[in-house]
Amino acid sequence: MTELDHRVQGVDHVAFPTFDPAATVRFYRDVLGFPVVHSICAAGWGPEDHPDFIHFFFDIGNGDRIAFFYYFGTGTEIGGAPGAKGDVYARFGAEVPEFFVRSRHLAIHVDSDEDLLEYRRRLDASDWPVEMQIQHETIESIYTHDPNGYMFEITRAMRPVTPQEDLDANLTIDALLDVVSEPEPTFGKLLARKAELIVERAADWELTRSEQEAGR
Amino acid sequence: MTTLYVLDVPENTPLAKVAGEDPEVTVGRVGPYFEISAAGPIVIDRRATGCRHAVWYSAVGGVARDSHITQHDKDALRVEPA
Repeated sequence: MTELDHRVQGVDHVAFPTFDPAATVRFYRDVLGFPVVHSICAAGWGPEDHPDFIHFFFDIGNGDRIAFFYYFGTGTEIGGAPGAKGDVYARFGAEVPEFFVRSRHLAIHVDSDEDLLEYRRRLDASDWPVEMQIQHETIESIYTHDPNGYMFEITRAMRPVTPQEDLDANLTIDALLDVVSEPEPTFGKLLARKAELIVERAADWELTRSEQEAGR
Repeated sequence: MTTLYVLDVPENTPLAKVAGEDPEVTVGRVGPYFEISAAGPIVIDRRATGCRHAVWYSAVGGVARDSHITQHDKDALRVEPA
């Protein structure tokens, strides 16, 4: 549809607040071995009511970073009432389903089964052992919660992604946009729309692709 | 007529194979998808496919408008004429 050039280079940093910097450093630096690569010690940030803070960064590979803010003189109450579920940033009542609470999370990539198991070993020897190890469709992941309650995933691909999965993803998204533009979208309606898009586009895609392969 | 589409990736091939063991079922292709069709219902036994649950519940690529899924659980996938 659009042919915008794709210039971005991955995650610079993702940032979260913490009220327990000691445990956070233990988890990321001492247990997982993620080096501390940057920090900012800031006397406020301009506005008078802004607390003094430390902004500190851990390398998560490829030069990408996970960062935390520690605000002096604050506690978890700054984020509102405690929740029955969630983390120090996002609090949820007991009635909120677990799938929803877990839906927002960070997953860090490793290259191999061996690397995944190495991080499993490090976590299992710590105060934050692996809670789940799951083989999904094409990836395998380990999960725990960090000292701030943030869900933390490390994942590896069980095989490389195939070109037809990119086609499938695009057909899914086009079908999704079609069904959510109509009242009462359902999974059944999506599969019906996607079947139409498969018939319209999948055969041509394969032909074009094999021509491109032959032309190389 | 009943038609469902399943993307041809390694995890899904047992599903197409098991479907095709039913003499009433035809397994063809549209690009990189298996086109699984029959005059009547298509029933695929999950255990026969050996698919683990994450694969099983995400294997259906599309279901033609003249068909609908009447069962998709840990035991079987059943698609019938609408």
